Amino acid sequence: MKYAYFPGCSVHHSTAKEYETSCLAVSKILGIELEEIPGWNCCGSIDAVYAYDPTASLALAGRNLLLAEKISSNIVTLCSACFFTLSRARRMLQNDVSLREQVQKMYNVPVSGEGVKVRHFLDILVNDVGYSEIAKHVKVPLRDLKVASYYGCLIVRPPGLGSFDDPEHPKSLEQMVVNLGAQSIDLPDKTRCCGASLFITHEEAMVEMTRRILGNAKAAGANCIVTVCPLCQFNLDAKQTDVEAHVGSKFGIPVLFSTQLMGLAFGLSPRELGLNKNFVPLHSMLLNAGEQVVEVVVAHK
Amino acid sequence: MKELKVIENSVPDPSFLETVQKFPGGEKITDCIQCGVCGGSCPARAWMDYSPMQVIHMIRHGLKDKVLSTSTIWICASCYACTTRCPRGIDIPILMSNLKRLAMEEKVPAKIRTKPVFHRAFMEVIQKYGRMYEPELFLKVADKRDLLGLFHNASLGFRLMRKGKVGFKPPRVSESSEFLAVLRSRNNNRRDNE
Repeated sequence: MKYAYFPGCSVHHSTAKEYETSCLAVSKILGIELEEIPGWNCCGSIDAVYAYDPTASLALAGRNLLLAEKISSNIVTLCSACFFTLSRARRMLQNDVSLREQVQKMYNVPVSGEGVKVRHFLDILVNDVGYSEIAKHVKVPLRDLKVASYYGCLIVRPPGLGSFDDPEHPKSLEQMVVNLGAQSIDLPDKTRCCGASLFITHEEAMVEMTRRILGNAKAAGANCIVTVCPLCQFNLDAKQTDVEAHVGSKFGIPVLFSTQLMGLAFGLSPRELGLNKNFVPLHSMLLNAGEQVVEVVVAHK
Repeated sequence: MKELKVIENSVPDPSFLETVQKFPGGEKITDCIQCGVCGGSCPARAWMDYSPMQVIHMIRHGLKDKVLSTSTIWICASCYACTTRCPRGIDIPILMSNLKRLAMEEKVPAKIRTKPVFHRAFMEVIQKYGRMYEPELFLKVADKRDLLGLFHNASLGFRLMRKGKVGFKPPRVSESSEFLAVLRSRNNNRRDNE
């Protein structure tokens, strides 16, 4: 099946490049056809644009939806913020025809609310491809790896807006982890907010919110955290040293994108999965992942 | 009884509730039963001066100035923990976004100084390139007098650069140039009127 691929800004040319690299690598193996939407623009990023100018935010998102329609009936994104923003714009433009006309007139740009369903890449993996198909491609079971799954917010909330899993107790990531042969660790705060863009405007709050997640993962004995959102991954990984400086103790927990973990299990090399771009060193985690993983890593050194 | 004092010392604006009811997130605020599940579920409550429940209570009393000057509206990160559990199905994050918008339009000084700057800067970067370019956003949001903060962000920028995670050039989307021109002219008109 072909999907209209909306990378989003951080995934395509910024902090989460390794998410795209690893996504494209596992998509190739699983036969997921992703066609990038030509000329896509920023989705409006939750309320970054909306709080400044709501109609501008609808024009930005709506333009992408219309461009996607030409490619597929499914627009798929890797980013939870894009997933939410596009889903919300679609609902608003679909439910209010006069609003849609107002946006089109104001910005002289055709927008759409119909004809295309907004999907998160994890939804495609677990529901369109399926766990058993994923399991078939596992070459290197991650037997000894203890993985804590962290969802963040907008991939599961608000309920009823594109969500495909339980808003309070989602299970899809854990099931994916188990099907990759790894051990799934229960993370109590798996849907609690990491602080998101507060890292720019109110870092103190973000540091404490992220600390809680890292602390719980550490207490649960996780070798790594796996996540699905570029901003969650950024706060947990790139900002981990800031959190450590704040609390005065070391976490040293690697934070991988779901697609990076999957790629490891599929036997792809660390470089093919952009693992050199993660901040927290992966060395000890990879050594813990079992002999076969060590062999793959060493072979590509 | 912090809340009662606020009400006693304020001059209510009776039209405020009606204004709020008209925008997304405000439609159902008269349904709020003041149960407090929103504040109890909020992961950022510790940094807010009032809980979302209290903000809704103040809106219903027409306390416009108080509402628009809370830190609550700026701290909300739109995580939707509140709405997921709200027994009345109130979309609190989008209510907060619209209150942010009102506060910016009415130039109410924000308790979190960087927040209005962030929203304006974000829009400026997007209307210029069509996509986000983080270095420019950071430079626009940074407080130039806060040397420690500047150093902190510069070191983050350096670490990102070493990983190849920050582009040296901003992104270019040629296909969207006409659309971006409209975005720019609309926003420039708005700024000229301010």
